[in-house]
Amino acid sequence: MEEVMRLANSGIVWIIATLVLAIVVFQAIKFIMLAAKTSKEIGMSTEEVHSALKTGAIAAIGPSFAIIIVAISLIPLLGDPLTLMRIGIIGSAPIESVGASLGADAYGTGLGSSDFNYQAFTTVAWTLCLGGVGWLVFTALATKSMSKVEKKVTNKSEKSKKTMMVVTTAAMVAAFGNLASAEMIKGFAYILVVITASITMIISTSLANKHQLNWLREWSLGFSIIAGLFVGYFAL
Amino acid sequence: MSVNQETVENKELSTNTQNFAMDKFHGKAHFWGRLTLWAAIILTLSLPVYLSFVLGYHPGWTIILAGFVAYAGIVAVVWVLEPIMYFPVLGVSGTYISFLTGNIGNMCLPSAAAAQNAIGAEPGTKKGEITATLGIGAASLVNKVFLIPIILGGSVLISAIPENIQQIFPLVLPAIFGGVLAQFAIKKPIYGVIALLIGLIINMTALVVYLKMLLCIVLTIGICLLLEKRNDAKQSV
Repeated sequence: MEEVMRLANSGIVWIIATLVLAIVVFQAIKFIMLAAKTSKEIGMSTEEVHSALKTGAIAAIGPSFAIIIVAISLIPLLGDPLTLMRIGIIGSAPIESVGASLGADAYGTGLGSSDFNYQAFTTVAWTLCLGGVGWLVFTALATKSMSKVEKKVTNKSEKSKKTMMVVTTAAMVAAFGNLASAEMIKGFAYILVVITASITMIISTSLANKHQLNWLREWSLGFSIIAGLFVGYFAL
Repeated sequence: MSVNQETVENKELSTNTQNFAMDKFHGKAHFWGRLTLWAAIILTLSLPVYLSFVLGYHPGWTIILAGFVAYAGIVAVVWVLEPIMYFPVLGVSGTYISFLTGNIGNMCLPSAAAAQNAIGAEPGTKKGEITATLGIGAASLVNKVFLIPIILGGSVLISAIPENIQQIFPLVLPAIFGGVLAQFAIKKPIYGVIALLIGLIINMTALVVYLKMLLCIVLTIGICLLLEKRNDAKQSV
């Protein structure tokens, strides 16, 4: 096991992980620059651009901590660079842990067990990397076609434009309705957290609208997470 | 009358420029999005290839295939469903960033929604898409700023966090989802109620996770469309 960890943390593995990370960071900066440039041409103000960036940044703080907790729990099993590459960059924390244990299973061992050898680690790396590439391949191949379909629908008429907006909003609400209810059936504390966060969001958004408080709008999701966690702490 | 005519023309002209700007933006987004995605795909696969064939730890294709098939059995449907389900919300550029940076449901979508809420941009519009891109881009960078030092510092940092505080981390997810759901419920309360009801019923069943999500989205969209149609009919009468 110790020897495997030396391999898992060796130079080449680090180099590959760092390169993938560099691509992700480069892409985010490139797209922010492209969007900022286009924002002017479609009539968005500089304040709106700054506000969007700030809000996105604040909204990522809470989830980042939750992601880190899962990442940390995988480090002793997969090593630093592979964990960084899988969880921090492409994958989703809960799915990666499932994939890692399935890979170890296939080799006939378990994550962290004493007979977890070089070959078992290689099997896990294959499973996670092949599995994660599925999303990327589909996104790389299909996004352009999806965009064409959307354009066809929205270019038709005012009425189909309105339908498209109903579909978009309903899809977003449905996604979060489903995610929230999946959490709510886990127990009382979870229900309480969902409700507290919802109420905090409603209060801070209506306050922000009433008094034109931009900063409050930017922080509203952050506050909802904090309030939810605060109440949840006492309910656990 | 003539004034009206002029405003109409001006408006049309500006929508044309806007459409042109968006087309240009999408063109660049497709180019850079695909380039970065393919580069990431090649690099990601180079790791197991290196372990197997350069270092010689190849476990054999049968074993790799067994692991991959078991994993793909869970995630293969999601490879296709997730990008399609989230595309209307994320838009072209949002899709490219979100699927490379990962953590879509718990980080990218909430960040996009919060950013749109902050500046009052509707999802599915030009302004909505640019706003989502800015929000997700910023979220992706912040996530890396948090993650890198902690991974480098290793588990030492985490063990410094008291046990009872660590306990509440699973509650971050319900807090995010509750907050974002309410954000939409303010604008369209009825949508929120429908989605939550359908979600609760579906989650009580023993369906596979991705089917739950798909079913909830399809049913909610269907009911909301019917609802809007009825409202329109009422208004025109």
